Amino acid sequence: MTLSKTIRGVLAGVAAGAAVSMAALPALAQKTIALGYQAPLTGEMSQYGEVFRNSATLAVEQFNKSGKLPGATVVLKFEDSKNDAKEGVNIAKKFVDDPEIVGVLGDFSSTVSMAAAQVYAQAGLPQLSQTASHPDYVKISEWQFRNITTQAYEGPFVAKWALGEGKKKIAVIAIQNDWGQSVVSNFKDAVEKGGGQVTSVEFYNPGNRDFRTILTKVAREKPDAIYLGMFDEDGASLLQQRRQLNVQIPTYATSSLYSPKLIALAGPSSDGLKLSTTFAADSPEPVVKAYVDEYQSRYKAIPTMFAAQAYDATNIMLAAIAKVGPTVDRKTLRDALAQTAGFPGVTGETTFDPQTREPTKQLARMEIKGGQFALVK
Amino acid sequence: MFDAFFVQQLVNGFSVGLVYALIAIGFTLIFGVLNVVNFAHGEVYMVGAYAGVVLITALAPPLVAVVLFVMAVGAVAGFGLERLAFKPFRRFQDEASLKSKAMREATLLSSLAVSIIVREVVEKVFGGAMRPVPFESQLTDPVQIGELSFSTGQFVIFGAAVAMFAGLQFLLYRTRIGLSIRAVANNPLGAKYVGIDTDRTIIATFVVGSVMGAVAGILVALYYGSVFPTMGFAPGVKAFVAMVMGGLSSIPGAVICAIFLGLAEAVATEFLAQGWSEMIAYGFLLLTLIFFPTGLFGGARDRV
Repeated sequence: MTLSKTIRGVLAGVAAGAAVSMAALPALAQKTIALGYQAPLTGEMSQYGEVFRNSATLAVEQFNKSGKLPGATVVLKFEDSKNDAKEGVNIAKKFVDDPEIVGVLGDFSSTVSMAAAQVYAQAGLPQLSQTASHPDYVKISEWQFRNITTQAYEGPFVAKWALGEGKKKIAVIAIQNDWGQSVVSNFKDAVEKGGGQVTSVEFYNPGNRDFRTILTKVAREKPDAIYLGMFDEDGASLLQQRRQLNVQIPTYATSSLYSPKLIALAGPSSDGLKLSTTFAADSPEPVVKAYVDEYQSRYKAIPTMFAAQAYDATNIMLAAIAKVGPTVDRKTLRDALAQTAGFPGVTGETTFDPQTREPTKQLARMEIKGGQFALVK
Repeated sequence: MFDAFFVQQLVNGFSVGLVYALIAIGFTLIFGVLNVVNFAHGEVYMVGAYAGVVLITALAPPLVAVVLFVMAVGAVAGFGLERLAFKPFRRFQDEASLKSKAMREATLLSSLAVSIIVREVVEKVFGGAMRPVPFESQLTDPVQIGELSFSTGQFVIFGAAVAMFAGLQFLLYRTRIGLSIRAVANNPLGAKYVGIDTDRTIIATFVVGSVMGAVAGILVALYYGSVFPTMGFAPGVKAFVAMVMGGLSSIPGAVICAIFLGLAEAVATEFLAQGWSEMIAYGFLLLTLIFFPTGLFGGARDRV
């Protein structure tokens, strides 16, 4: 009885297999083009990897349905880097060895992206990070691209804004990592060039949640404004403690604080925070509206700026693939990426400089008013 | 000259120190009795905070009710922790096993295992990101006294620390169970021979220590306005440092050292970048261990 069951099972398996291969036959004519996506899907930074995966999956599904690339289907291959540079390098080696993969998206942090970039540079596989903003990242080789304005662009933008509002003495508080360093140096240079003065620079260790001592120290200098270079959870803690310490100094921040989570955590203490951003979920632009609606209906959340950047990064990659056609390989994809110009994404029009591969985007000004991010005209 | 900013830094440091002290009290109590570190104490703290926040989100009861509920959760957590990670290693009651260091130190790893499992489960259920405490219940309202800024949470935490410390001293020196806790801490085998139920005493110690840990968790969560799965780790390490500096089994010593650490970190931030203030804490630990190997308040003193 068991034997007959086994035989029947095997027969059923063969039949099912045959059916699947029959069904797959017409699809065989369809070429499969793969994109690797490395991002922190578990661990402390998993919330970012998660929104990247959401956005990228959405973008690829829409692309495959659109018929922009007849004769080929694009698939995504995700790997979890845990925000660890060693993992990032391992993934990069794996992606390089996979002949289906023509391009890679990710990683999240500059540190991990730059570690993996060494592998991609040697093997010649185009890498497009949605968030790595360290100035040296694109300098690694001609294979690195990014879809985020760097601090070299954002720092001066906010500096000009603050100086224009009569804030001449500004204190800076930033996280102690590669990115935080670039926040401080770019902002400081711009403020000093614009005739202002940076009264103090305070770095804090990642993981620190008590900013009372730093705020007290900064308040002693009586600056006209404070500039924050950090992420939403740190920012929320800082803003709450700022209110509790009764420090009423106007505060500006990097675009990394543009996240609904900031307001959810900090509540009324986030009111009045001014920041720059490339993406506004409440923007009336039709592309943005379509993306926000689709994302919200599917994932039950409003996309953050990081989600939007991943969406655009994936679409830029896909547009470059479509441009080359189904015969795309790593080299032709790279060349097509370098020619990206005026790409109409949800984070504004994006152009890659063909030489430096630095993106140019439009930045917008935002202020938190009554628990809402509002565009400043 | 009265420097308001400097005094403000002392206030900041004192409140950070009190947070360490709240955790260190329970930590030291359990160490005193078992002579082994309970690595899951930070997770009891975290579980207390999450339990409180879940209750607040669901029912928004007054603070007293929240604290009572969290105390109950802490008691259950302490009992369960002891049952899971400590009791199995006491099943052999012969003298060799009771004196065995290996048996005792195995609980170091079993409590670490429990702490990892609990943290991961909480992360799976509630997510790894920070969750806000509902704003009406937060203890973050500013209280301005002259040039100094306090917050409601600082007063509550101060009150809780005093109450816990005094309550524990009363429990240890004025009650029957306190007497047996001190006896077991002093000499577990001797206590057993004179007829003290050591098993029950150890369970009682875990329940008392974990109740304090859980209450500390919810109060600190209300003071910072948020909870996250790894919230017990960093202050837990500092509480551990305070315990070692204070002489491992001296509760007053641990409290004093915890407050000292908080003050030292705040004052260090005045002169150095915040990142360096960590070094100050560990520097003090190193100095203590080199010059006072039994801790600042340890040695000849009564255990616990």
